[in-house]
Amino acid sequence: MEIIEQIKTNKLIDNPTEIQKICLHKLRESPLPNTKSEQWRLSNKLKFSNFLDYSVNEKDPKFDIPFPENSESNIRLIIGQNYQIKLIEENYSIQQLSEDELDKYIKEQISRFDQNENWSDLLNLSLSCTKNILGLKINGSKIPPIEIFSHASSNSLNAKTLVIFLEKNCDIELLQVNLGQENSSLSQSTFFCLEENCSVNHGVVSYGENRSNLLNSLNIIQHKNSEYNLGSLHFKFNFARFEISITQSTGNAKTNIKGMQITKKDEQISTYTKIDFNGPNGFLDQINKSLADDKSHAIFEGSIIVPKIAQKTDASQLSRNLLLSNDAQIDTKPQLEIIADDVKCKHGATISQLNEEELFYMRTRGITLPEASKLQLSSYFQEIISFIPVAKDRWDLLDKLLNEN
Amino acid sequence: MVNENLVKDVVKEPYKYGFVTDIETEKIAKGLNEDIIRLISQKKREPKYLLDFRLKAFKKWQKMDEPDWAGLGYKQIDYQDIIYYSAPKQKEKISSLDEVDPKLLETFDKLGIPLTEQKKLTNVAVDAVFDSVSIATTFREELAGHGVIFCSISEAVKNHSDLIEKYLGSVVPASDNYFAALNSAVFSDGSFVYIPKGVTCPMDLSSYFRINSGDSGQFERTLIIAEESSSVSYLEGCTAPMFDTNTLHAAVVELIALDDASIKYSTVQNWYAGDEEGVGGIFNFVTKRGKCLGKRSKISWSQVETGSAITWKYPSCLLLGEESVGEFYSVALTNNLQQADTGTKMIHIGPKTKSTIVSKGISAGNSINSYRGLVKMGTKATGSRNYSQCDSMLIGDQASANTFPYIKSQQPNSEIEHEASTCRISEDQLFYLQSRGIEFEEAISMMVSGFCRDVFNQLPMEFAAEADKLLALKLEGSVG
Repeated sequence: MEIIEQIKTNKLIDNPTEIQKICLHKLRESPLPNTKSEQWRLSNKLKFSNFLDYSVNEKDPKFDIPFPENSESNIRLIIGQNYQIKLIEENYSIQQLSEDELDKYIKEQISRFDQNENWSDLLNLSLSCTKNILGLKINGSKIPPIEIFSHASSNSLNAKTLVIFLEKNCDIELLQVNLGQENSSLSQSTFFCLEENCSVNHGVVSYGENRSNLLNSLNIIQHKNSEYNLGSLHFKFNFARFEISITQSTGNAKTNIKGMQITKKDEQISTYTKIDFNGPNGFLDQINKSLADDKSHAIFEGSIIVPKIAQKTDASQLSRNLLLSNDAQIDTKPQLEIIADDVKCKHGATISQLNEEELFYMRTRGITLPEASKLQLSSYFQEIISFIPVAKDRWDLLDKLLNEN
Repeated sequence: MVNENLVKDVVKEPYKYGFVTDIETEKIAKGLNEDIIRLISQKKREPKYLLDFRLKAFKKWQKMDEPDWAGLGYKQIDYQDIIYYSAPKQKEKISSLDEVDPKLLETFDKLGIPLTEQKKLTNVAVDAVFDSVSIATTFREELAGHGVIFCSISEAVKNHSDLIEKYLGSVVPASDNYFAALNSAVFSDGSFVYIPKGVTCPMDLSSYFRINSGDSGQFERTLIIAEESSSVSYLEGCTAPMFDTNTLHAAVVELIALDDASIKYSTVQNWYAGDEEGVGGIFNFVTKRGKCLGKRSKISWSQVETGSAITWKYPSCLLLGEESVGEFYSVALTNNLQQADTGTKMIHIGPKTKSTIVSKGISAGNSINSYRGLVKMGTKATGSRNYSQCDSMLIGDQASANTFPYIKSQQPNSEIEHEASTCRISEDQLFYLQSRGIEFEEAISMMVSGFCRDVFNQLPMEFAAEADKLLALKLEGSVG
């Protein structure tokens, strides 16, 4: 855990920015998250310490994107290579956030941080240099789909930050792709603010390679009448945490989440979601799927918080899990914390293996066992993949997953 | 809109069991140390192995921290300010109920638990525990005819020492948790049940716990052993007087079911809950666990929790035997400033084990009602199944209902299903009932009763009626 030692001794960053200073100061107070807390107790300590073993790399070497070429109808941005921004500003109503705007917004976020819950963000903002922070202000509704890439190169830890401001009545499709090369750690924090009447279809695809690690955090603030749809997929990471925090700041907003994590070998991937309803008439529909094979471990913890002010909230959360091997394990913990009385809240969780009756039915029709399993998995995956914008049309995620399973 | 004030009035009901029995008691000095433990053990004339068990537990307890993970807000307990042994003064050996102090009999009469021969509840044998000691056990001879042992744990220590030595602490080890360790060190009395091989207990067994003294804690211990192919239904009730101070109740219940045995354990908990301002009330920290050791054994917990200022209670099942079954049916009602953190743990260890969890929480006033449960499928639990259902009902916009299910699976060939929902009293249903001429408070009571029906159906007859009445009482009252 070289990085923690460097944070403690103040040797990590040469010329820290003001934000880095604030975050480093906070981290020095308690350099590591409390491993006994609910958010961290199941995280594999060895793997987590491996995440922190690489030295920080601020450079961003060119890399091959293992996904389709960019098309003219899409906007593709790579965090750390911001030269394309100018191009966008000329053609569309997308602007880069000024340093002052960025500073103000991030500081406001930090003031609300909980040392434990936002530990990943604190680390990210401590390490992320100005070049690796991409801030965008988006306006209008006829914006082509946007793809934003973050990437960690081998034998290093890369920190990337994305801040997006969506102004009123904005409507976008955004696909965020996090890529980890062999033996790498990626810290990705995203801050998203949806003004009134905004609508976002957000996709997050995180795709690692051998022994790559990821700390991916997503902080969303939704204002009145906004709609936020998230489709996410995490796979092939030695260790990955996906932390989602969504706040419906004044209620009257809609949130749909469909997420999936797939673990194999001895991987550990976890998803933590926290949905705060801070006003009435909020809506949430969430489904999280996990698939654990070999000796891997998949974790889901979702909490829904409905305070007194959030009357008429309608929230549902479902955790569906497939356990495919005797040595794999799944932990799931959907939670409800409710004070408002006029609400409809429910959650459900299941853990099982592939349905034997369905397999038998297919085999009696002459379909072989591997093919039948593939068909079942394909329908299991499809529900999530079809919800990931941009990718569902252009990318062959389903094939990628099926061929690897 | 449902009239909030009306609903609030409806859930206000004075506590009926809050009287104090004026009786001479023998108490030992306040405080907790090795000497106190030795004194308790000496008073009960216990064998050395039990004193060692207590001292070992005390040493472990001293090294432990009070758990705070449930996030219950209560003022710190001063463990040195508690009397750990308090007993009504009476003759040493009681051969018949005639020798029991009439005041005690009267107390239990007032509580609806008559102990005298002519008034005995038909077909229910009762072990009545008053503060730290068991004062009477009914129907003992009849039960003995069937080979069933039903007595206080102190008597069992004297007469059935082999069973106590073998099973005490085998399900809930002394070091299991903070409150179990405390109980193991200072437990005073409780009930002991032994059902021999092949016997179906001819009547329901029951223990009634009464805390009378305001400054003493109650630390009872219950041990039930069901041998092969036997079965028993056990009922437990509890009340306490109204005091401004908080009284600590830290009990341990251990159940052991061998091959084909079945134990049904039902509780109606109505300890004093404190007043509307949250002053007084019992702190109820209880460890209840059953071990399904044998093949096809079954342990079923059903509970109706309406009392206590703080409830911290997770009746659990360790499903070791092949095809063993665990069940948990619970209704928890909280009002005013009560806090209940209750649920269950179903640990599937053996193959083809099954468990069912049905939990209903009703929160009113400013109370906090949480379901916290664990379902775990171990690596050998092939072909096992769990089904959980947790429903919460909120009355008023100040109450809080939380659900924290922990689900863990290490066995692909097993299935876990969990569902939870939160709602409030449906206005449509209320309107429908009222339009049919049913009074407001009766309509609420009917709806709550309907909400809890799945659990009430699992209670033994005598208890189902009592539980229904208890909830109705809590929900009845002065409609303003």
